[in-house]
Amino acid sequence: MSESAVLQAGMKPSAWIVDRFVVLTALAGLGVLGGLIWLETAPFMVALFAIGTVLGMALYHGAFGFTAGWRNLVLKKRGAGMRAQLMLFALSSLIMVPMLYSGQAGLVGAVAPVGTSLVVGSFMFGIGMQLGGGCGSGTLFTVGAGNIRMVVTLVFFIAGAVLGSVHLPWWLDQPGFDPVPLVNTFGVSGAIIVQLLALGLIARWVNRVERKAHGTIERNELLWKGQEHGVLRTLISGRWPFTWAILILAAGNALTLGIGGSPWSVTFAFNVWGAKALEAVGVNMSQFEFWQWDYPAMALKDSLLTNIPSVMNFGLLLGAMLAAGLANRFNEASRNRPQRRPLLAAVVGGLLLGYGARLGFGCNIGALFSGISSASLHAWIWFACAFAGSFVGIRLRPWFRLPD
Amino acid sequence: MDKAYSRGRILIMLGAILALIVVDHLNSPTFAFNSGQGNVQTALTQRDESACAPCGAPCPSTRN
Repeated sequence: MSESAVLQAGMKPSAWIVDRFVVLTALAGLGVLGGLIWLETAPFMVALFAIGTVLGMALYHGAFGFTAGWRNLVLKKRGAGMRAQLMLFALSSLIMVPMLYSGQAGLVGAVAPVGTSLVVGSFMFGIGMQLGGGCGSGTLFTVGAGNIRMVVTLVFFIAGAVLGSVHLPWWLDQPGFDPVPLVNTFGVSGAIIVQLLALGLIARWVNRVERKAHGTIERNELLWKGQEHGVLRTLISGRWPFTWAILILAAGNALTLGIGGSPWSVTFAFNVWGAKALEAVGVNMSQFEFWQWDYPAMALKDSLLTNIPSVMNFGLLLGAMLAAGLANRFNEASRNRPQRRPLLAAVVGGLLLGYGARLGFGCNIGALFSGISSASLHAWIWFACAFAGSFVGIRLRPWFRLPD
Repeated sequence: MDKAYSRGRILIMLGAILALIVVDHLNSPTFAFNSGQGNVQTALTQRDESACAPCGAPCPSTRN
């Protein structure tokens, strides 16, 4: 996230090469899966699949990783990535909070209980982010771009999520209280103002950290133009300035809410994929309380093509693959065979991510981004605890021989 | 420049994922519903009845 490729004076722009095999394969995958969704489900699911695809491209081309942004702030004392995230939350708050509380039927926000489960889960998730190498969306888009170590993270992310789903009812019995929508206390305008103030305070703290370390602040998050190429080439093959990614991600989440009825969520699909895999080998998941609740029970029973997070994740994976092909960088991160300790970090990190996401009611997308966009208190507690966990994870990275 | 991947492996991997999705779909209530079997509750009909956030938090109706 921090690597801002600045064209050196006198350096010639590189030739525009597209990986045609990867691009055509991704397009074929999008066509086949989109066609299946169109034929077998409903048109709005195709729209959500398309939104997932665009989000995958935006995450890849914008290099919009939450994990690296947090790490850059802690280790390099650079705050552009973090400020870009804060700008994203502010923009989506302005759009989605009024949408959610406009009285339109069928819209429901990402609001979740506040308690032991949330605190423990988000803290674990934060550690997992730094060891696994990505959050929910980060893991997915890097897998889509062909990163083999992240495939290991994803497999164990799914395993951890399923284990978390089995234990979640016990965690919910520990001290805690019901969901707290800020709108109930402050009203719609008040909740937005309170959130913008909180985001502004965090941005101020980020600026202080950066200025103290470097004397100045790099405003990469405010760039509107690509640094290497013209607009068209930047749009197709990246790398996008943060502002483009922020606009697309905010619009994507708002459209997801408007079309799907609830904000963008990534990790619930991992639960469903893992539970379906276990059912396929004879485990009766319905014996566990979580899988008896209305929504998970039906998600487990019915087709993945009717499950909104799954359909959007499929789009996201293929969108990231398409973007990586257009940038001619598919599988670029896996040229060297992964070493043992980084692989171990992927296993441990993946398990922590999955278990933490289930206990914390989602990842950086479902709990943090969508939670703040829904003006839910749980998102702010998630943010604080995951950042604390991330701090611990950053300290553990050297032992796993993970680069800064 | 050498490719960092094997084309065959990618096609096999994507084909396997697609096959799993199709097999899952063929065994689903939605496929039964689409095939003319009535009286089947599907995820889409459930969605029509009551919206519920897919964040994994219990729906208000399902847990006290």
